[in-house]
Amino acid sequence: MDPKLTEVSQQFDRFKAAMTRKDYNTCTQLLSQLKVLLTGFRSLPPLFEDTPNAIRELTLARDIYEHAVLLSVKVEDQDAFERDFFQLKPYYTDAGKRLPPSPNEYMILGLNLLRLLVQNRIAEFHTELELLSSTALENPCIKHAVELEQSFMEGAYNRVLSAKQNVPNETYGYFMDLLAKTVRDEIAGCSEKAYDYLSIKDAGQMLLFTSDQELLEYVKEEHPEWEMKDGFVFFQKAKDSAPCKEIPSLQLINQTLSYARELERIV
Amino acid sequence: MAATMVSSAGGLLAMLNESHPSLKLHALSNLNSFVDQFWPEISTSVPIIESLYEDEEFDQHQRQLAALLVSKVFYYLGELNDSLSYALGAGSLFDVSEDSDYVHTLLAKAIDEYASIKSKAAESNDEAANVDPRLEAIVERMLDKCITDGKYQQAMGIAIECRRLDKLEEAITRSDNVHGTLSYCINVSHSFVNRREYRREVLRLLVKVYQKLPSPDYLSICQCLMFLDEPEGVVSILEKLLRSENKDDALLAFQIAFDLVENEHQAFLLNVRDHLPVPKTQPLQTVQPGSNDPPSAQNDSSTAEDVQMNEGTPASNVNVQDEDPKEVIYAERLNKIKGILSGETSIQLTLQFLYSHNKSDLLILKTIKQSVEMRNSVCHSATIYANAIMHAGTTVDTFLRENLDWLSRATNWAKFSATAGLGVIHRGHLQQGRSLMAPYLPQGGAGGGGSPYSEGGALYALGLIHANHGEGIKQFLRDSLRSTNVEVIQHGACLGLGLAALGTADEDIYDDIKNVLYTDSAVAGEAAGISMGLLMVGTASEKAGEMLTYAHETQHEKIIRGLALGIALTVYGREEEADTLIEQMTRDQDPILRYGGMYALALAYSGTANNKAIRQLLHFAVSDVSDDVRRTAVLALGFVLYSEPEQTPRIVSLLSESYNPHVRYGAALAVGISCAGTGLSEAISLLEPLTSDVVDFVRQGALIAMAMVMVQINEANDSRVGTFRRQLEKIILDKHEDTMSKMGAILASGILDAGGRNVTIRLLSKTKHDKITAVVGLSVFSQFWYWYPLIYFISLAFSPTALIGLNYDLKVPRFEFLSHAKPSLFEYPKPTTVPTTTSAVKLPAAVLSTSAKAKARAKKEAEQKEKEKATAEKTDSSSAGKGKSSNEKDGDSMQVDAPPEKKAEPEPSFEILINPARVVPAQEKFIKFLEDSRYVPVKSAPSGFVLLRDLRPNEPEVLSLTDAPSSTQSPAGGGSTTGQQGSASAMAVDEEPQPPAPFEYTS
Repeated sequence: MDPKLTEVSQQFDRFKAAMTRKDYNTCTQLLSQLKVLLTGFRSLPPLFEDTPNAIRELTLARDIYEHAVLLSVKVEDQDAFERDFFQLKPYYTDAGKRLPPSPNEYMILGLNLLRLLVQNRIAEFHTELELLSSTALENPCIKHAVELEQSFMEGAYNRVLSAKQNVPNETYGYFMDLLAKTVRDEIAGCSEKAYDYLSIKDAGQMLLFTSDQELLEYVKEEHPEWEMKDGFVFFQKAKDSAPCKEIPSLQLINQTLSYARELERIV
Repeated sequence: MAATMVSSAGGLLAMLNESHPSLKLHALSNLNSFVDQFWPEISTSVPIIESLYEDEEFDQHQRQLAALLVSKVFYYLGELNDSLSYALGAGSLFDVSEDSDYVHTLLAKAIDEYASIKSKAAESNDEAANVDPRLEAIVERMLDKCITDGKYQQAMGIAIECRRLDKLEEAITRSDNVHGTLSYCINVSHSFVNRREYRREVLRLLVKVYQKLPSPDYLSICQCLMFLDEPEGVVSILEKLLRSENKDDALLAFQIAFDLVENEHQAFLLNVRDHLPVPKTQPLQTVQPGSNDPPSAQNDSSTAEDVQMNEGTPASNVNVQDEDPKEVIYAERLNKIKGILSGETSIQLTLQFLYSHNKSDLLILKTIKQSVEMRNSVCHSATIYANAIMHAGTTVDTFLRENLDWLSRATNWAKFSATAGLGVIHRGHLQQGRSLMAPYLPQGGAGGGGSPYSEGGALYALGLIHANHGEGIKQFLRDSLRSTNVEVIQHGACLGLGLAALGTADEDIYDDIKNVLYTDSAVAGEAAGISMGLLMVGTASEKAGEMLTYAHETQHEKIIRGLALGIALTVYGREEEADTLIEQMTRDQDPILRYGGMYALALAYSGTANNKAIRQLLHFAVSDVSDDVRRTAVLALGFVLYSEPEQTPRIVSLLSESYNPHVRYGAALAVGISCAGTGLSEAISLLEPLTSDVVDFVRQGALIAMAMVMVQINEANDSRVGTFRRQLEKIILDKHEDTMSKMGAILASGILDAGGRNVTIRLLSKTKHDKITAVVGLSVFSQFWYWYPLIYFISLAFSPTALIGLNYDLKVPRFEFLSHAKPSLFEYPKPTTVPTTTSAVKLPAAVLSTSAKAKARAKKEAEQKEKEKATAEKTDSSSAGKGKSSNEKDGDSMQVDAPPEKKAEPEPSFEILINPARVVPAQEKFIKFLEDSRYVPVKSAPSGFVLLRDLRPNEPEVLSLTDAPSSTQSPAGGGSTTGQQGSASAMAVDEEPQPPAPFEYTS
């Protein structure tokens, strides 16, 4: 066996051990070294050279990046997730036909969809969705994300929140928590537009807070422009601060008319 | 297993965000190889990569890699400026030898950038131009690569463009074919280097390189030196060649001299001649006056030769025996070369050629004369002009002699131009010019009693005869100028002096002319203004300021106009140097000075096709308030563009459709000037509609321009020539045609058959140098709008289309060469067969069969006999031509020079020409020298003067044209007119044309 490959797989074993120990610092360090080692293999993307150990190396690398993605979820680092996911993706899309399918593939794709949902990047969400095959769409992990998105778009926020209870995989928990916050932001944005003011009680209910205290903290952190007075939340200030962009119709009409006049003069 | 392709750069881009530097490096290098495919994806991440490039902590290689990547992305985005600046940041990673669009594009961009920085720096004279050293490095790498790859032409082009003379030199010296590259470089520097100063630098470098070569190409060196105006260099080369043991070297020296003469740079030639060192000891005292008295020098040179050949015999001069034989040879050669350099040899040979080959068609003139109304003096003098132009340089004045009565109708200024016309006809008749004109010249005292008009005309004629070779006549003209107060004579004398002393910048003559100018007489002042310009052509002397001041002072429009043109002439060929003066003139209040400004632009940038000048002229052509200025601005385009005649029709095509007739006129003449003698199809198509314009003077201009374009093109080449000839005839015969266009038609027929059908209008010499005389001639000619006598200046632009081969003795040996084309393509136009007495148009080409031909000939001859009974001394040139060709057929069956008789047979695909032969410009590419010939040309030029090396020097030579100028005034000049040039007898004595007996006006 290729010594380099051996080295990587040994390192990877240590990484997996650390992972089960939940020693995430060691994991991150090991992962970084692993990635550097992987750059030495010419069979990996983007070169895809046909070396004798290509399949083994590709499988190993895929495994490493899958773990890297999972690790990033565990350490709750969204940037790292994105980075690792993109590096993992060629193993699914480009090398997929050459490798035995990975058991984690749909789970990770689902996670990615969820991440996009959380970050409210709906366009990219749909782009990713389009790339998936119909069989993939049947997969519970993917299906879950798709359903969430549908509810989210419909405004059925309670369904989104309740979906937290039946996640297909425990790694989804992190994103589901984040999703609750995304939903809350959506609601807050809508309420701002829809109401001049709300009673604190109603507002708390609307924003799915169980206690007024939580609401107060939320307002303080996210919407300092909201005014809390006499048991009401006033959104007026926020409305004023965002000046309404009116179409300067009169001015436009005047301009158009003067152009017409001048044109007539020229001819 | 199929190779797997990566489908997205997303993974690599994500890797850029990794914290580990080696991962970033990995990502960068991979992205770099995939950028061609994934640049759209990468472009969104450009800021990240840029930040990598700017990251000081990053290692150098990585930063360069990042820069290269960004550069490529910007390249694909079409942001070449950004791309270039990052490519520079990439340093050595930017590989100039890579064969990709990216590298090619950026290199071009880099070189453009570098060249523009360099030339801007050069233009602002800013020595310390802050060029990005990285940019410079890239360009240098590119140059080095070109040189090592053997792409010398590219390297030279880039080096010239970027003003890197050091690299240019390297490219030339390292090339495998140094001569080839050098001549390429000369071409390039003439056609693409716009700034005069810089071009001089390039040429200086070329001369330097040339001289380092083991076997220098002296012909090219001397051409360069001439452009640089460094006579000393030419002198030393010539001396070296003349002193050489080898006869071939002497031949080469003669060839160089002829080539230099062809460029008509009088002042330079005189300089060379005067600097040639005299032999160490003077074997023959008589040689010395040679420079002063050309005819005797000719005779002496032959004596010297005799002496040399007979050396050792007791009869030879005692002195000679003591002399070093080398010095004797040198002295003899020196004499010859001085003769050549003074232009006398070539002028004489040309004269002989034009005379012996004269094919002008008197019938055309006769038709014109008969159809022109007696009282119409404009058409009357136009006919005289046409005759002069038709016979320019042939010395054939038959027509005038036949029609003395008719001629006498010319009075006043018409008489002036009639007399001056003789000068055109006898152009180049240097030895006998004086005696020819003697009857008309002002006599010493007041006793002459001749009309001042014919006296003035005669002085003008002397100038025309001696144009640009006025050594012998200058003094006489000066005396005449000083001794008269009559403004008409002053007018003629000024013009004559200007012509004779063209470009010599002689201070004394200038002062004489200035005195005339300050008399403030309109007629004399105009000529004085022009004359000053002629004198100072191309010197950019500060005299221009003086002239400008006087132009502001005087009240006479004529003087202002003369001065304006004169000022313009002084800046001839000076390009940027003239910009201040041009600016001053074009901003003047006075339209006449602005008009002069247009000429200044035209002449300063003549033949450069300089974009700035063209732009300026086009601007004036559409924006000036004065019609005169606009007309001239368009016309001036012709001068700027004559080096690229194909361009002119395109540039002026819109202007030729202008609503303003003046602009249309200008457009016509611009095409006429720049495309003169080319027969360019587009030019003819552009002029055709203008010849039937609604405005009379536009028709006039178009007809003249058309004639200039079509000169020496025959019907076989372009059928429109025939149509045009018929159109001219129709206009001339039409009673209701306007005088203006009629005059145009008459002049056009003259120009079409100029110089006995053996000359063309050429503004560039064969080596692509401007011919000063020709350009000056045409520019003054274009003034005929205001002053008809200036029409004669067109004769300066005529250059004979001949190949004249010369042996060591500068004689014309019998020598054959091949024109590999159908004879009919380049033959002379057929003489008009039937005198068209009715207005019915007779098609000359209609009769084809031999019998019909013979019949027509018989008929014609009968008619002619009848007509010319009275004047027995002349033979019609056409019948003379016929006679000659049949002579030749008898004498030499090889010659296929007589097309009319051969018409019925299938036409041969080639013809053998006999030295000296008419070779029209279009024919030049078909000229081949026969391999087994006795003579081998020193330089394989298809036309002009060619020195021949004799491979069999021991055999007796057969001469075609003999070189025996007879100075006797033979009274019966008639017998000599039939040229016996083809006769088989050795040493056939073909007499020098006799000076015709003077005739007097009867009025």
